[in-house]
Formats: sequence, structure tokens, C-alpha cells
Amino acid sequence: MAGISSGSAQYIYACTRLRVRRSLLIPREDYLRMLNMSLPEITRFIGETNYRSEIDELGTSFSGIDLVEEALSWNLAKEYQSILELVPGELKYFTASYLRRWDIQNVVTILRGKLQGMRPGKIKEVLIPAGRLNKVALDRLLAEESPERVAEALKGERFYPILERELPRAIETGSFAHLENELYKGYYARLLADATGGIKGGDIFRKYIELEIDTRNIQNLFRLQAGRVHEDVRELMIPGGSFSVEELQRLSTVEDRDEFIDALKRQVRMTPLLNTLESIRGKSAIHEIEVALTRVQLEQMERMSKRYPFSILPILVYLEEKKYEVANLRALARGKEVGLPGERLQGYLVM
Amino acid sequence: MVDVGTTLEMVQASQAGMSAVGAGLAVGLTGVGTGLAEMGIGAAAVGATAENRDMFGLALLFTVIPETIVIFGLVVALLLLF
Repeated sequence: MAGISSGSAQYIYACTRLRVRRSLLIPREDYLRMLNMSLPEITRFIGETNYRSEIDELGTSFSGIDLVEEALSWNLAKEYQSILELVPGELKYFTASYLRRWDIQNVVTILRGKLQGMRPGKIKEVLIPAGRLNKVALDRLLAEESPERVAEALKGERFYPILERELPRAIETGSFAHLENELYKGYYARLLADATGGIKGGDIFRKYIELEIDTRNIQNLFRLQAGRVHEDVRELMIPGGSFSVEELQRLSTVEDRDEFIDALKRQVRMTPLLNTLESIRGKSAIHEIEVALTRVQLEQMERMSKRYPFSILPILVYLEEKKYEVANLRALARGKEVGLPGERLQGYLVM
Repeated sequence: MVDVGTTLEMVQASQAGMSAVGAGLAVGLTGVGTGLAEMGIGAAAVGATAENRDMFGLALLFTVIPETIVIFGLVVALLLLF
């Protein structure tokens, strides 16, 4: 009887809702159809799906690519905030902790914009208020004058210590890359701390985090390889996954792509990932490799969510797939805007 | 346990009482069983209907399927009593 409590009914309710929502995401066939459409056709097409209210609402103030971009961002933010409201108890804690990723993205965008002296209105267009910092909090940050003031206004946030430590160097060099890396590393470390904090269901959350960190690290290794970077990569890797940072450093020294894949395969135990690694052997374009790895991550998450049907996993599966849906539509719209052919665009879509 | 002093009427009355208790247990326990079974299904049904109204008919049907358990209990109870 341990599993039977009012808590489990709430879990079933929330997880079922998100499973239904997931089934309403844009299917592969529709992406293939959209590849042959022009931008206005795509806008009309997504205006007939889940994005209708945003397209209608923003249709008067934006047009063309801006309308699509804004509608996608608004929809993503609205969707994530509504999920945060409907998930119960511990799931809410984990979901909120996952969504902090958007806070980092928004803060870094604001800092970059401020450093380059952009107008607050212009910066606001590219923000996605899907995390803990809502529209009001972001507006307050936008009203600040300099990057230092923005950082100061964030005192009390989890990532403030990292921001405080790294910001002077970022402003001095004019590059936020290192700051961003550190913030995301801090984010993953914090996720792991949340998962292992003794809250019920944390072990399942941890499985996802490890998968996510592994996929990121492997993607980054492929990127570094493609860019022929052979310096110390320890600083660029995220600790906490199933590979240690030392192992990743060793892997990064392998120069030949095939040898690198072989070395990686010896370390990996997950069969779908092994198959993917084998299939990307022939691919040379880095974006295809990244898409293949993302795909295998999503599939693995889906499999794990079937094993734990009423846990944080079905929620994360939806959140991730929604994120990629928005990214796909954005890539499609942007690609069509600059007149890229459909076949080229297809390689960039996660579907 | 029938002791020596019990009359035939007392035995009959105790039998009737026992079958009434049995009938009560049959309906009561199956009711609890149905409730537990419907808890999960009901939660999922409400979740699915909240997202997609067209699910309502099917969701309602699935939710009441465990009602059969309590109906079996009721049948057994009626057989015991009459």
C-alpha cells in the first residue's frame, strides 16, 4: 500500500497531461511538409496549430520572421510556466530546477546586449522568460544601465557567486564565452545537488542529468575535434556525468575521427548510443552528428520515462521535445527567410 | 461454537447474522478495491480530458470499468441475503 496515496494520483494526473501534450507536438511528416513551404505559408501553418493564440496576438505588431520568432518564444515561455503550475510537489521542485537554464540564457543575453549598448526593447525581443526570472524581473534587469548593475541586481540568485567572480574578466576581454561555460557548469552541479538532496524521486532525476551531461560532453568533444582544438579541454567539460573529466581529456587527444569513435565506444555501455556512434562514423558535417546525438538522447529519455511512467521523466521528455520543436521551427523559418533549400535545412532539424 | 444450551432458533439466527456480515464485507471490500483501482484511472482520465476534450467519452468509460468489481460484490451479497 506504500505507493497508494493521494500523491500518486497527482503524479498520474500531471504525467498523463504531459503525455497528451507530447502527442500533440508537430510530427515528422509536418516538418517534411514545411520544408517545401515558404515563410508566409509556414507562419500560417503554425498559426493553425498550438501557436495560434500567439500568432494572432502578435500579428498586429510584428511581421515576417520576427512574428514567427516572437510567437515561438512567447509560446515556449507560456507553455513552460503553465507546466510549472500544474506539476505537483517534488516534481515542481525538479522542474523549476531544470528551468533555471533559461535564467542563465536570459541573463547572459542581457549582459551581452548591455555591453554592446543595445536598446532594452531590442534585447527584450530575444528573451525567453521561461525560467524563474519572469517578465517583470527581466524588465527590471533590462532597465539597469551597465552589465555590473545587472549582475548586482541578481544578488541572491543561485548563480550570483559565479557571475560576480567571472564578470570582470568577461567585460575586460569582451567575450562572455568563459562566463557562460562557468554558469552552465554551475547549473549542472546545482542540478546534481538538487537530485541527490534526498528528495523523493531524485535518483530518477539524476539519471536524466547524467544522460544530459554525457550527451553535452560527447557533442562538445566532436565539436572540438572538428575544430581541431587540442589544448586542455578540461575546462570545457561538464563534470558529473558517467565519464570523468580526465577520461574526456584523454579522449580529446585522439586526432583521428575513427579512432576517436572507437575509443568512445569502448567507454559507452548504452546500446542505442553505440549504434548511433557507429552510424555517425561516415558523417562529416558536425551539425548532423549533433542532431544524431540529440536524437539518441531524446529516445533514451523516452525509454527511461516508460520505465518510470509517473516520475519527473515524462515531464522532462515533454520539456525537451518542446524545446527542440521550437528550435526546429525557428531553424525552418530562418532558413526559409535566407532562401536555403529544403534538403539543406532538413539536416538541422531534430525530428 | 454451538454449546449444549443453544436452541435451533439461536443457530438459525446466528447463521442469518453471519451471512449478513458476509454480504456487508462483500460490498464494502469490493467498494474499497474499486475505489483504489479508479484512483489512478480517474486521475489519468481527468488529465487526458483536460488536454483534449474529445477524450471525455473514452476516459469516462475507462474510469468506470473497475465498477464491475463492486457489482460482483453486490451480486454475491444479494445471493447471500436472498
